[in-house]
Amino acid sequence: MADHSSSTTHSRFFQHHFVDADQQFATAKLGMWIFLVTEILMFGGLFAAYIVFRLWYPDLFTQASTELNTFWGGVNTVVLIGSSLTVAMAIKSAQLNQKKNIAINLGITLALAAVFMVIKYFEWTHKFELGIFPGQFYDFGGIEHEKANVFFSLYYLMTGLHGIHVLVGMGLMGWLLWRSLNNHFNSEYYTPIEITGLYWHLVDIIWIFLFPLFYLIE
Amino acid sequence: MSGHHISSDKTLLGVAAALLVLTILTVGVYYIQIPAPWNIVTAMGIAVLKATLVALFFMNLYWDERFNSMLLVAGLAFFGLLVALTLLDTLFRTEVIPAF
Repeated sequence: MADHSSSTTHSRFFQHHFVDADQQFATAKLGMWIFLVTEILMFGGLFAAYIVFRLWYPDLFTQASTELNTFWGGVNTVVLIGSSLTVAMAIKSAQLNQKKNIAINLGITLALAAVFMVIKYFEWTHKFELGIFPGQFYDFGGIEHEKANVFFSLYYLMTGLHGIHVLVGMGLMGWLLWRSLNNHFNSEYYTPIEITGLYWHLVDIIWIFLFPLFYLIE
Repeated sequence: MSGHHISSDKTLLGVAAALLVLTILTVGVYYIQIPAPWNIVTAMGIAVLKATLVALFFMNLYWDERFNSMLLVAGLAFFGLLVALTLLDTLFRTEVIPAF
């Protein structure tokens, strides 16, 4: 009777303080959602700062956003949407026990995240060359507004914090890819892909708001 | 694993296609240049719609336990509170501009 494995075939990752695999899965998801709430509130502080300054200096935002490249911002939006799709496909593959497709989809996700960061790198370094630095280091004469540095402080803080999240996501995707290649995931156990997917989709949602707020101002 | 919803390829690709169309739409609206404040309203409306699609169908809240949706809504409500109370200060200052 003490032998749990006799009743049902448990995944090797089933932890015995849970009632069953479903409860373990639901608990992990609940934990991830609570973490995502703290993420929303962390970014929320920066979004609140953005709202305050945009209401104080509406002209600043219209002028300064012309320095941002709408095309590359749009490309990055599409890249992140694509990566959200492949994460969802990786989860679906796990649910259907298509183990090879898990790795393929995670690999594409990782590649798309890298594309996003490369584009971000070129956007930032281009601005650095122009002397567009945040705060007191701002040294660019192209915008006729005395508070131009404020816009770019917000830009660097918000896209920077988002970029850090993409980098963390890339680390997680690499870890998931390694585990999937080691055959850790199947239709009975794919919790790490599911909850990393939740994190990744939130990072996508943050960008969905950052894109119009910085790149699409007339 | 009875409680897990498995999304079809059709659903996932459909949501991704909708997100793509909405991205093109929001850029298109930007070039048309609707007068303020409707430009911001439109851009944020499209962004909220996109975020809702991601949350419902990629993050699976549509099929998930309602408790997880409640957490998300609670997080957003507290963000709203933060913005509202902050604006009660910053919008009604007599000396508006800080040093920075």
